[in-house]
Amino acid sequence: MTAIATLPASGPGPREQFEALYRSSAADIYAYVASLLRDRTAAEDVTSLAFERAFRRRALFDVHRGSARAWLFAIARNAALDELRRRQRSGALRHDVADDSAQPEEIDSDLAERRLLVRDGLATLEPPEREVILLKFVGRLSNAELGRVLGCSESNAGTRLHRAIERLREACGVTR
Amino acid sequence: MSRDELSAQQLAELAALDRILAREPVGEEHLELAALVDSVRAGAPRMDGGFAARLDATIAQRVAGSGARRARLPRLSPRRFAFAGGGLVAAAVALTIVISGGLLNSREPNFSPPATSGPRLASPSAAGHARVVAPTATFGATASPAPLGASGASNSATSVTPSAHGRLVQRGSTLTLATTPATMQAVANRVVAATERQGGVVESSNVEIQGSASYASFSLAVPSGRLGSLIATLSGLASVRALTQSTNDITDGYNQETARLADSVAERAALLKQLAVAATAADATSIQNQIDALARRIAAEHRAIDRLLNEGHTATVQVNVVPGASTRHSSAGGPLSRAFHDALHALEEILAIALIALAIVLPFALCALALWWAATSLRQRARERAMRTA
Repeated sequence: MTAIATLPASGPGPREQFEALYRSSAADIYAYVASLLRDRTAAEDVTSLAFERAFRRRALFDVHRGSARAWLFAIARNAALDELRRRQRSGALRHDVADDSAQPEEIDSDLAERRLLVRDGLATLEPPEREVILLKFVGRLSNAELGRVLGCSESNAGTRLHRAIERLREACGVTR
Repeated sequence: MSRDELSAQQLAELAALDRILAREPVGEEHLELAALVDSVRAGAPRMDGGFAARLDATIAQRVAGSGARRARLPRLSPRRFAFAGGGLVAAAVALTIVISGGLLNSREPNFSPPATSGPRLASPSAAGHARVVAPTATFGATASPAPLGASGASNSATSVTPSAHGRLVQRGSTLTLATTPATMQAVANRVVAATERQGGVVESSNVEIQGSASYASFSLAVPSGRLGSLIATLSGLASVRALTQSTNDITDGYNQETARLADSVAERAALLKQLAVAATAADATSIQNQIDALARRIAAEHRAIDRLLNEGHTATVQVNVVPGASTRHSSAGGPLSRAFHDALHALEEILAIALIALAIVLPFALCALALWWAATSLRQRARERAMRTA
């Protein structure tokens, strides 16, 4: 599922491993962080900070505790939440996520309408529900990794994920 | 069904979600979910080109800079570091306990025999029985009996005199050794041989070899000057169970005897003068009788002085050899064995110090750990709160 399963602290090519991890994860990390923060500038800062921290702490990565990608998302999540706390303390909340959505593509109108519907539906979810959707859909983490990032069990992560999907369906008016 | 339990259908949907994310085919019933995933991913924010280029450059620079600066040594992860540290601490503590326990169990009463070269002279206040006195001086080999403390007085009645420090001390030791019944006879033979090598004599001995009831006892007499080396030699023959040393200051008795002898000698000289000028035969006979009686008294006083000097010159040693576990053999007392024991002792000391240091550091480390854990938990809760209120 993930491009990089391990990130050895030593051995042949640890820098190349990190670069590969960066290349495979940077866009998803940014998407996740920007969705959490809903602020383009802050998302860029937090994304940079997350990779900086990951690089600095790469020797502490433990392959037995999950994939490098999950580890990177956990770092990004903490950095993003710290940024949220800082902004809440200073009362500087911004919501400009609409500006950094996907670039328009040549797609049919039904698909474009559906994507718009899903985006709006996602925006109406509670932040924890939105986060679990993003970690799964964008981060492509397994349920075990999801649990580790969120600080809960794998089964609880699965339950939360399924509940969030159901809420998203309701918000989008999707019928099954 | 608990809150975390999902139905089979829900589990199937989550499994299908994993397949969708892995770009694997799914059934028709999950196409709606696939479309949802596609819409979420397509609608996710994307980095603009400028930021992506800047981030690429930053990462490339960071990675290249790190490689050029230094080759990092492999670092332990916190968990491995904790395991390694905990393992080392546990091993150190266990080793300390094992070594300390072993040494303590094997440690016999360790009486270092006094290293003296002559009979000890106790201070006047130490007269009577005492455990150990500090070595001070030795007796001279030749001198005349004179009241101790009265330097310069001389008398040719005997060839031995107490030391210049003026105290005559009678010394005795009782040594109890433990050895296995099988080696009892060998130890007994070595006691006799060691005594003779030191110029002493075995005044009496009793050796009984009867299995666990084996027993040996010796009454030894040895020149006081060699008592220390004899005790040291005997202590090396088997495990020392007990060692008692006593001293008895006999200076006063010696002084009284020498004074009495001097008086008698002076009295005899006076009588001899009277005899030379005796006027009648009856007077001469009477004086001669007094001189004869005085001669007997002088001889007795000489014997008393000799006995006292002998008591001060010869130390008595009572050696008892009892059955028991012996951890020390004469053959095991070589330099290598001593070096091994010294090394063990040094290691024990080092580990003891390390244990003490650990005992001091550990509470602080635990407090720091608890504080770190509390701070981490609080920070994480604050982050979750920030998420909920975002």
